[in-house]
Amino acid sequence: MVKLFKSKKVEKNLVVNKDETYSGFQILWRELVKDRVALISLIFVSVIVIGVGVISLILNQDEIVRVDLFSLNQPPSSEYRLGTDQGGRDVFGLLIIGARNSLLVAALVTLLTGIIGILLGIVSGYFGGQVDHLLMRIVDYSNILPTLMIIIAFVTAVPNYTIIQFSLIMTLFRWTSIARLIRSRTLQERELEYVQASKTLGTSNFKTIFVQVLPNLSSLIIVTMTLNLAANIGLESGLSFLGFGFPDDTPSLGTLVSSARNPQILELRWWIWMPASILILLLMLSINNIGQALKRATDARQRRG
Amino acid sequence: MLDKEEDRGGVKMKKKRYGRVFLGLMIAFGFMLTACRNETPEESTSEDGSEVEAGMETDGMYSIDDFNNIKTPMGEAIEGGVLNFGLVSDTSFEGTLNYNFYQGNPDAQVLQFFDEGFLSWDENFVYGQDGAATYEISEDGRTFTFTIRDHVNWHDGEPVTARDWAFAYEVIGDPDYDGVRFGADFLNVVGMEEYHKGEADEIAGIQILNDKQLEIEFIRTTPSILTGGIWTYPLAYHIFGEMEVAEMSASNEIRQNPVGFGPFKVETIVPGESVTYVRNDDYWRGRPNLDGVTLRVISPATVIQELRTGGVDLVSSFPIDQFPENEALSNLEWLGIVDRAYSYIGFKLGYWDSELGQNVMDPDAKMADVNLRQAMWQAVDNQLVGERFYHGLRWEASGLIAPSHKAFYNPDLERPPYDPELAKQLLDEAGYTVNESTGYRETPDGEPLVINFYHMSGDDVQEAVARYYAQAWEDIGLQINLELVEFNSFYDQVGEDHPDIDVYAAAWTVGINVDPTNLYGPITPFNYSRFVSDENTRLLELGVSEAAFDLDYRYDIYNEWQQYMLEQAPVFPTHYRANVTPVNNRVLNYGVGDGTGLYWYDVALTQEETLAAE
Repeated sequence: MVKLFKSKKVEKNLVVNKDETYSGFQILWRELVKDRVALISLIFVSVIVIGVGVISLILNQDEIVRVDLFSLNQPPSSEYRLGTDQGGRDVFGLLIIGARNSLLVAALVTLLTGIIGILLGIVSGYFGGQVDHLLMRIVDYSNILPTLMIIIAFVTAVPNYTIIQFSLIMTLFRWTSIARLIRSRTLQERELEYVQASKTLGTSNFKTIFVQVLPNLSSLIIVTMTLNLAANIGLESGLSFLGFGFPDDTPSLGTLVSSARNPQILELRWWIWMPASILILLLMLSINNIGQALKRATDARQRRG
Repeated sequence: MLDKEEDRGGVKMKKKRYGRVFLGLMIAFGFMLTACRNETPEESTSEDGSEVEAGMETDGMYSIDDFNNIKTPMGEAIEGGVLNFGLVSDTSFEGTLNYNFYQGNPDAQVLQFFDEGFLSWDENFVYGQDGAATYEISEDGRTFTFTIRDHVNWHDGEPVTARDWAFAYEVIGDPDYDGVRFGADFLNVVGMEEYHKGEADEIAGIQILNDKQLEIEFIRTTPSILTGGIWTYPLAYHIFGEMEVAEMSASNEIRQNPVGFGPFKVETIVPGESVTYVRNDDYWRGRPNLDGVTLRVISPATVIQELRTGGVDLVSSFPIDQFPENEALSNLEWLGIVDRAYSYIGFKLGYWDSELGQNVMDPDAKMADVNLRQAMWQAVDNQLVGERFYHGLRWEASGLIAPSHKAFYNPDLERPPYDPELAKQLLDEAGYTVNESTGYRETPDGEPLVINFYHMSGDDVQEAVARYYAQAWEDIGLQINLELVEFNSFYDQVGEDHPDIDVYAAAWTVGINVDPTNLYGPITPFNYSRFVSDENTRLLELGVSEAAFDLDYRYDIYNEWQQYMLEQAPVFPTHYRANVTPVNNRVLNYGVGDGTGLYWYDVALTQEETLAAE
């Protein structure tokens, strides 16, 4: 039965292959669709992201963070779907806005670290020599810095910071691993014939890097960025949990979870911290699943699709 | 979608793929970017909040009158035992371990076990004759002669002498003194002013008669001398005598190896975290019942866990919002008293001039307009905050004299009612009009007005209360910038007149002396609002004048003073507090509050192990 199924699949592949070759994106997509868990994860993440995006447009953050003396610590009810916290704030609203903020920072940090890491990595790998040497020493240097400590010191030292500034300080330390990864792939890539040919034909370095090498790294980039996204959600939530995350009045998943540090809330008011905890867990698991599936897709031997 | 993109693509294959990388990125992040806009026009909730939610019951309120203040004995005392004391604080204690230098309450909690003052007081806060020293008053009421008891010795064996007592006055009065104890009470000592200015080498009014006898002559006799107007904490001359005054507070003798003459000796200190004490067999009242005490800083977040599992027997304070849910714990008894304290909101109106040693008002201060201050007061509903957040165990304050001072407390002072509409009206009339484009009020000069509100960070409830205040002020159109600052740096910044502070929420634990001069007088650094006025000074002086020995007269003066302060509103009182504190059932002879006649050396235990809840 299994054999039959497999052979069928191969046959199908062969048939398709006659017509056209798959582009990198199609391979990624097919892998996602074939991996049931990853597909469900993708749907889940999309629903959450779109849902949070849409609902948070309707909600007003200023209203959500309003302290309401008449509804402190209410359990979930028809009026407050997820109850209220110790300041009478609607936990559902806090969850949505918090998820939006956390996702936003994670995405922003991933995007920024991605851009910086890819640019420096590819330049470093492509040119090699002194440039490579210099950039990689900078990377080495950044890697030995105690990242978390510096972020915490920054947050303590600067009394008023915005979400953007917070993202930037996180970005400062998290581009290095991407740069390193991209560099090592570029090192391999630049030895390939197409690069050599391109160089021989007199194509400018700029064009070779961005038009020819970069697209060939696209699947690697997507995989790395996806996995980084999950890591960044975790980092932001962790920092907020410790009280060194977002500015005080900005809800985030981490701040919701951190209210569980109060034993009263941990024991008696599960509705304040549980939903956010579950959401973080599911989001990170799902994004990881997607990332793993994409990673497999980049390696022909591991592919399922 | 991708395919279509490819069809429409440019000339070269490679170019198309380059474009798609970014398309992929845009898809991945685009929706999040759009989701970040949060300006939504939705406005639904009603402003009046008059409908009471169904879920919140109106009972569940407590009254401080229902609490006992002495522990009910449960069993026979055993020999010795170690008491576990929890110092509840979300930060470490500073560790300035000397009564002459300490500032914050956490340090005082550490101090109480190993040091004490010479004089004790009764429940009316009048000095009694059963302390480590006794006193006699001359006929004109200006000269006090103190006699220190024979067996009062420092922990290192040296006797506590009159020299030590006089030395404390000399150090606190010294121009280089960096603590906060100097104030009007000291200036009332004959010759102190000259000494403080460096014009005299000695304090003329303080005479050491012999090793054990000290005479202090005061300039004016006032009723407050006997209720906290005497500095009763000696400073060991044989230890500090050679030291520069400015270096004392940072010295090892205060930070690491402090001595006192209290019932317990300090054995080890882990700075900021814990202190272990052992019994002082040489204690002047007699041998303490306990073998020792272990003091440990515990966070307000874990205090109930510690109590439940028997980690601590006693705590320095208990977060009142956690009381209702833990009322019934089987291993604890809850004691309660009206706390000698009140919370208040203060407005920075000037600065402390350390050269002149006095408070100076700044007419250009952001909060200088009394109407603005009054309006901010009217905008907050303290009654409701007390009921909702504190279950009635904090209640709206009526004035600047706490109800614990029964003889002077007046619940019927006139104060602005809670009325946000009136507050808005008041601001409009005072020229603080709303700028249509920002939606916030501006100063009468048309300058933008952003008010920085400093609040202590701490437990969740405190933060919610801070947000409530900020929000209530935003509701009347003021732009508020809320800063939550941790306890130690909060008082540092407030005390140093940090230029960013406009409004701050703080609390005073008041001394046994009802006289508020030390908190609101013109020459005391504790007057954090820096409010000074002739009328204020006049009333404060009348309150401690000779005429004020007449209780009715003094009561009237303090009424007048409170009323004046409520009108000027350099600070406004928010809440009086009940002090509800849990005690493990194995503890004997323990009481909270003043004049219980129970001291730390009386405290005993009924068994070796702290009881845990069933």
